[in-house]
Amino acid sequence: MILNKKYFCIYFSLFFLSYSVSQESINVLTDSTKTENLDEVIITATRTIRQLSSLPMPAQIISKKDIKRSNSIRLNDILNEQTGLITVPDFGGGEGIQLQGLDSQYTLIMVDGVPLVGRSAGTLDLSRITVGNIKQIEIVKGASSSLYGSDALGGVINIITETPKTGFKGDINYRIGTFNTNDLSTTINYKNKKLKAGIFLNRYISDGYDLNKNDDLNTVDPFKNYTINTKVTFDFSEATNLFIAGKYYTQNQDYNASSTLKGESAINEWNTHLKLSHAYSEKWSSYFEFYTTQYKAKDFLNDENGSRFSDSYYNQLLIRPEIRSTYKLNHANNFIGGLGFNHETLNRTGFMVQPEFNSPYVYLQYDGDLTEKLNLILGARFDSHNKYKSQFSPKAAIRYEINDKFAVKSSVGYGFKAPDFRQLYFNFTNATVGYTILGYNAVSTTIPELESQGEIANIVVPISEFEAELHPENSISINVGLDYKPSSAIKLELNLFRNHIDDLIDTRVIATKTNGQNVFSYYNVNQVYTQGLEFNATWKPVNQIKISGGYQLLFAKDETAEKAFKNGQVFARENPSSPSFQLKKQDYFGLYNRSRHMANLKLFYNIPQWDLDTNIRGTYRSKYGLFDANGNTYLDVYDDFVDGYAIIDFALNKTIYKNYQLGFGVDNLFNFTDTQNISNIAGRIIYGKLNIQF
Amino acid sequence: MNTIKTTQLVILLTIFIGFTSCSDDDSPPLLEVASESVTNLHAPQTGGQGQPVSGTFTKFNFATGQTTTSDTNWDIAFRGTSIIVNGGTTLGTTDEPNRTGNAAVYIANGTMASVTNVDTALFEQDSDTGYAISTGSGNSWYTYAGPPTHLITPTPGKILVFKTHNGLYAKVEILSYYKDAPANPDAYADETPYYTFNYVFQPNTGVTTF
Repeated sequence: MILNKKYFCIYFSLFFLSYSVSQESINVLTDSTKTENLDEVIITATRTIRQLSSLPMPAQIISKKDIKRSNSIRLNDILNEQTGLITVPDFGGGEGIQLQGLDSQYTLIMVDGVPLVGRSAGTLDLSRITVGNIKQIEIVKGASSSLYGSDALGGVINIITETPKTGFKGDINYRIGTFNTNDLSTTINYKNKKLKAGIFLNRYISDGYDLNKNDDLNTVDPFKNYTINTKVTFDFSEATNLFIAGKYYTQNQDYNASSTLKGESAINEWNTHLKLSHAYSEKWSSYFEFYTTQYKAKDFLNDENGSRFSDSYYNQLLIRPEIRSTYKLNHANNFIGGLGFNHETLNRTGFMVQPEFNSPYVYLQYDGDLTEKLNLILGARFDSHNKYKSQFSPKAAIRYEINDKFAVKSSVGYGFKAPDFRQLYFNFTNATVGYTILGYNAVSTTIPELESQGEIANIVVPISEFEAELHPENSISINVGLDYKPSSAIKLELNLFRNHIDDLIDTRVIATKTNGQNVFSYYNVNQVYTQGLEFNATWKPVNQIKISGGYQLLFAKDETAEKAFKNGQVFARENPSSPSFQLKKQDYFGLYNRSRHMANLKLFYNIPQWDLDTNIRGTYRSKYGLFDANGNTYLDVYDDFVDGYAIIDFALNKTIYKNYQLGFGVDNLFNFTDTQNISNIAGRIIYGKLNIQF
Repeated sequence: MNTIKTTQLVILLTIFIGFTSCSDDDSPPLLEVASESVTNLHAPQTGGQGQPVSGTFTKFNFATGQTTTSDTNWDIAFRGTSIIVNGGTTLGTTDEPNRTGNAAVYIANGTMASVTNVDTALFEQDSDTGYAISTGSGNSWYTYAGPPTHLITPTPGKILVFKTHNGLYAKVEILSYYKDAPANPDAYADETPYYTFNYVFQPNTGVTTF
């Protein structure tokens, strides 16, 4: 906590310093006419409609236009091209997002403001989500638990789906590419004075791919999935409307674990989202929301004789009623508050019980313009919980416009991630190797059971240590940013960030088994931080050209590890058979799977006379380590690293007869692969696309 | 098995301090402390991975720098990844020798150069519940990488400090578990278990420094 205080002090002194500097410059400024250009609005940062450019916290919007121009089909495609974001495959094959150097389990993923569930090992697989019906993707960085509660520790990604335009409209999209990957989607929308209705269908099939031809397994097995989305809004009056949305997603995939063990896996996911909105007056509005979602996954494996080798299932349900109200005191001062309840259950292979989480919550946020140039947001949320310590999550954010060109902004917030079901209730023994993983709450009952069966050789951590509760992982996140707009054609943004996580949940050996294997369980241990800077630049030299670039510098480290290096407790060898030597503080590289440098550069070029739109996009990530290769359990500079790499994508789209669009493109132009280390980069993908609007 | 006498000899000035009480004329000459290395000490075992373990332990004597088949005149012994000391009691596995001496061991964190003092309070002997050098990956001297490499590599920074069966001291750093200690071992191609290790033996009774 001493550290936190220290950084708080630095943070506040920094802010007030910049504030006082800016105060002085105020007097120099003369009034200038504001150019009210069409500004993008964002809803995720405050849960109210806000101008992106005036927000005090780091946020970003990916527009439908950019998604279409890039010819992306799944959410992971487009997120990978954004500054500071990278999708990382987990061992189960899911692709999760890394944001400000934090793992995917610390970023909340939402669709139209309500969360997606189904994180079998903490990762929410982004390739589950089609981008075919997306209006925009909103990304808010920094802890946002003050509005969203658990999981919004690193940030929030909210997918806003398309809303119908007047009349009867529709489109068909088809893309075919390498690996026999077919993506077909259609939207049909209708809108009149009172009713807005839309349906979206998507079918996505692929033969998968195989990076390593020498084994019997595919890197990605063939799959097909379908998404159906419907959305209806009915306006009872100007003041009252009802929103009903539903989604169904289903996927089937081959599942091959070895040359003899073969089976299938299936995912079924649905959600319904009801929202009744009512404006009592100009000042008061309320929203009554009811959200239910269920994620079911199951798989099986048969042996060569066709008899069942293994079966597993995962069935998660979330029900969330929420009431929230907004109050506009005047044009400069807004309040939003909410009251809700999370009910969550999980039925899963290897669970000792069918756990149930119940968590009522309440939040309140003030958003006000203290002066014309100074915007302040103060918010807090309280989450009560039946299984772990209640959480209070405050947040403060402030933005000061020095002049038309310069603005400074800063936010500090508390974020938390509740222990998930797995970390509390898992009771799993690997059938072939024989190790056991126990959830924290499963230890006190299961260890005595194993002991009575004579399976325990030695208890390493006494059971009494598991009597208290496992704490939620929590963090303090600080962002300090500077926006600079030297002209209407150039926009520069700089953001410094630091996330300091406490009570990180990790696994440790708690007992050894008589079969020579270990029993693992979860515990709160590490203090981890990620810090760095993010820089974004956009330049539109002429109307037809947009050039954008971004860079993230990242240091992601475990403080315990840093201390061990500093105290000279860590050793390494030049090669596995040479004598050990002591490592120094600067030899510590940091957390696994984090690159120090990530960058992107994109050029969009529009040629109106030919109805042609073309772009070239490049992303780069510097070297990173995936595991400790030299036996000291830490990632140090003498370990093996995955080499840095760059990927270049190219796309060309031509509009013909106004309503038809033909597209062609190559993703990963130079066919980069790393078959050993990177399972989610398939190599060069060549595709063609057809889009028809009616 | 080869024993190579390296030319590098270490004479400990600090020893003189311990002998200042003696008259200068009568002090016995101190024996030289030498850095030695052993390559390809073969220590096969049968069984393992769920099956009962058996096989003769390969015994080693620090004073001679040689393996031995003596029942009593040995300090440490190897079988598979297990290392036992000639002190304490037997765990009772098949073919395990009885302990006849007073050997003991502890594991220090450091390098061969940095571990210069013996902390006699830390010594442990084998017992009927387990060896003083714990078995299992990451528990003592080695790390098992698991799939896909399946390599067994000595954990860096682990120095085994031994008391010999007759009360002298030695320090050991294991370098390889594979035959000829290849720089980049291949668990599928290179033979095991062939120990290669460096050691320093302190031949002078009662001297707890290296």
